[in-house]
Amino acid sequence: MNNPTAKALEIRGLTKAYPLPGGRTVAAVRDFSLRIEPGEFVTLLGPSGCGKTTVLRTLAGLEEPDAGEILLEGRSIATLPPHRRRIGLVFQNYALFPHMTVFENVAYSFRIRRTPEAAVRQEVAAALKAVGLDEMGGRLPGQLSGGQQQRVALARAFVMKPDLLLFDEPLSSLDAKLRVQVRGELRRLQKRLGTTALYVTHDQVEAMSLSDRIAVMRDGQVAQIGTPEEVYSRPASLFVADFVGRVNALHGRVVSHSNGYATVDVLNHRIDVPMSHVVGTELLILARPEAVQLRKAAGDGPVGVVEELEYCGDEIAYRVRVGTVLVVAVESALRRTWNIAQGDCVGLHLMQKALHVLPADVQAPMSEREIPSDDSTSMEAA
Amino acid sequence: MQVARTAGIAPARLLIPGRGWALAGLYPLVALLLAVFVAYPLVDLLGRAVHSDGRLSLTPLANLLADPYSRRVLWNTLSLGLTVAVVGTLLAALYAYAMTRVAMSWKGPWHFLALLPTISPPILMALSLILLYGRRGLITNGVFGLQTTALYGYWGLVAAQVLSYFPFAYLLLLNLFRGLDASLEEAAGTMGAHAGKVLTTVSLPLLAPGLAGSALLLFGYSLADLGNPLLLGGDYTVLSAQIYLAIIGMYDIPQGAALAVILLAPAVLLFFGHKHLAKATSFASVGGKGSIRHPQNRNPAVRAGALLLCGGVSMVIILQYATVLAGATTELFGINYAFTAKHFVLALTTSRGALLDTIGLGIVASAVAAVMGLLVAYFVARSRMPARGTVDFVANLPLAIPGTVIGLAFALAFNHRPLVLTGTALIIVAAFTVRALPYAIRSAVAALDQLHRSLDEASTNMGATAGQTLWRVLLPLVRPAVVGGMIFTFTRSVTTLSAVIFVVSPHWSLVTPAILSQMDRGDVGEAAALSVLLVVLVLMVIHGVPRLMGRDWRVGING
Repeated sequence: MNNPTAKALEIRGLTKAYPLPGGRTVAAVRDFSLRIEPGEFVTLLGPSGCGKTTVLRTLAGLEEPDAGEILLEGRSIATLPPHRRRIGLVFQNYALFPHMTVFENVAYSFRIRRTPEAAVRQEVAAALKAVGLDEMGGRLPGQLSGGQQQRVALARAFVMKPDLLLFDEPLSSLDAKLRVQVRGELRRLQKRLGTTALYVTHDQVEAMSLSDRIAVMRDGQVAQIGTPEEVYSRPASLFVADFVGRVNALHGRVVSHSNGYATVDVLNHRIDVPMSHVVGTELLILARPEAVQLRKAAGDGPVGVVEELEYCGDEIAYRVRVGTVLVVAVESALRRTWNIAQGDCVGLHLMQKALHVLPADVQAPMSEREIPSDDSTSMEAA
Repeated sequence: MQVARTAGIAPARLLIPGRGWALAGLYPLVALLLAVFVAYPLVDLLGRAVHSDGRLSLTPLANLLADPYSRRVLWNTLSLGLTVAVVGTLLAALYAYAMTRVAMSWKGPWHFLALLPTISPPILMALSLILLYGRRGLITNGVFGLQTTALYGYWGLVAAQVLSYFPFAYLLLLNLFRGLDASLEEAAGTMGAHAGKVLTTVSLPLLAPGLAGSALLLFGYSLADLGNPLLLGGDYTVLSAQIYLAIIGMYDIPQGAALAVILLAPAVLLFFGHKHLAKATSFASVGGKGSIRHPQNRNPAVRAGALLLCGGVSMVIILQYATVLAGATTELFGINYAFTAKHFVLALTTSRGALLDTIGLGIVASAVAAVMGLLVAYFVARSRMPARGTVDFVANLPLAIPGTVIGLAFALAFNHRPLVLTGTALIIVAAFTVRALPYAIRSAVAALDQLHRSLDEASTNMGATAGQTLWRVLLPLVRPAVVGGMIFTFTRSVTTLSAVIFVVSPHWSLVTPAILSQMDRGDVGEAAALSVLLVVLVLMVIHGVPRLMGRDWRVGING
């Protein structure tokens, strides 16, 4: 990430609406602002329809924004046509030209710019080598596997040495194992070349493993931006907490406070959180499943009944009913020490350092929405 | 297009074994029917062309090719075909581009009007051109006071054939333009290619096979056309008209057969050229699902040009049909424009037999073609029957053969033992069916593709018997495509002239030959009235049958 030529990207107040049949419009992106430092890898993470792809396409010049500024190293590019922007885009479906060989696909941007043939050969060969396809130059895209096609798409985008690289869910059509592998290659390539990158995905694991920073999007706006750790452990809203991982959202009320600590009533039990709040304030206590510990012997904490136990290979998830609330806890399957079975009565311990507190008026607490009316079914916490 | 191409999808065990065996029993019957009604007439025709005085000889063909007049006819045929192919493809490509990539109003009407000629007898174009631009034409004579025969010949034929056949090319290119993955063009743009470069390096190379296919299609249609050359050719004689004159005019059967074989040669070459082209350039789809969100060109000049093109072509088509309607409702078009219903009355009385026969035989043929199509598609694509490659080839052969040649082959082959069918309804139904079979097979393949084996298994798994599965799951799924195919067969059958002109008889007459003979006699009004009735009939079937069935089955035709 120390490429001296890497460019900073700044998006200010980007707005884009699409017309609907019947004359109405739907806002895809609303007053969207974001700054990406030179060489930084930022991911737009959000559910489908949150506007993340629209942002990407607007940056590439494939959509025209209704309002807003796009600055690349301080220079506005919003009025440039796509072919003048020097912004590489890796498409979800790769968009490899089916009538050109792998070599010709990767060489395309050079040939468009009439680069001398010797230089083209050298650059393309190096790019294909970098993605491990140096033997495949003569093949047509249709003769490659999905993972190989994806690598060609990456090589084709990297080789043009763009000022900014955009990725539109490029791994979504690969199977799980390949996705992890190509993900690593993609990150290594980007780091080595130091190109500023913006990545779009709805997969939180992908976002966290790839990014320097993550911008979680909702309804065309940034809900929160921060490092993966910030977004995961200190989410700005229940939506963000829920989107980046499983979470127990527990309702709480401040009963007293002293020395910068508030004592909160959660699950009919008291815990201290490092925050000053007026007595009576409603709070939302967010506890990741790994921040909930279970004990077979009831301690001085809340008590519940294990309704369901899910063995996932690497970990075991327990669904515990405490009164009307369902709490999820996980334990590493390898260091299985809890020794708990379905139907057991257990004591819960919330690891205070790993809790995150939000004002309750942000959203209705999720665990209350999650309580199934029918006891025979149980839902995922995230 | 042969169906073997799609055989890769779920093979063989589409049907539960018991049902499979019952169907397998029909295989010899299907093969026999194809042998008798496709292979035999063609072999018989070829035999006539290479026999002289009872001995095998190439003399008739050689004589024909040595004859300067015949050579000119051949040359005429090829140059007309080439012109129609180039002009028609260009027009169709521009029309399809305007419809898919330009922000333009009234796309619905433009689309409907462009497709209107695909459902009318091609002879209708000749009729309205004569009424408008002929010696006593409304425009040439009525407006400009000219007494000209300029319409008759090369340019008149080009106009009539381009108008009649460009819609088929338009339909082909429309789907191609729509299907082109938009992200490919976007990708080229992000890599530095400006609009012109994107066109030359990405869009055109990807569209080239389709454009070539469209040109071959139009060339084939031009070769096969009989009605327009008969009515508009004048001194410009082409092969199909020459065959007609040899058989009907001079009753010179050896000469007619030899000419038919000569017409067959370029048609078959075209057919295989087309197949080769399709195979060589069909790129496997790459990656996941592409985007088809094509940006609409909003350049005012482009929009105005597109509107002018689509509006202009549509106006010409409207004028053609309006003229035929006017011809049908006036005393004598070109001379006496007083309103009259007498042509319709005449058409519905004297030509009632032809109308009823056309409808009846068309319906029978579409049902037969649907069943045959399903069976052939099943045997070829989903079974392991012996010689299914040959069955596929023979069943699809009629695609390559001009209607005139099929019609003549039928008339000659079934006029002598062992099988005499001259004058029967069967020979007409057979001609309709054979011509429509390749299309019926294509619809049936689409229908079978709806049937993933898991559906059959799911139904059985939930306790349905083989019969219940067939009735509740399989038939409802294949019905849209099969009904779509039947509508297509019906349309094609009732509007064709070339394939039936040699097989109609006093007992069984048809509308298109009736129109031709009325034109010959100068009964323009009655010919126009019959044409109008035919177009209305076809429109009613295309729009009425799907509605009667409660759902728009036309979706099934394209899907």
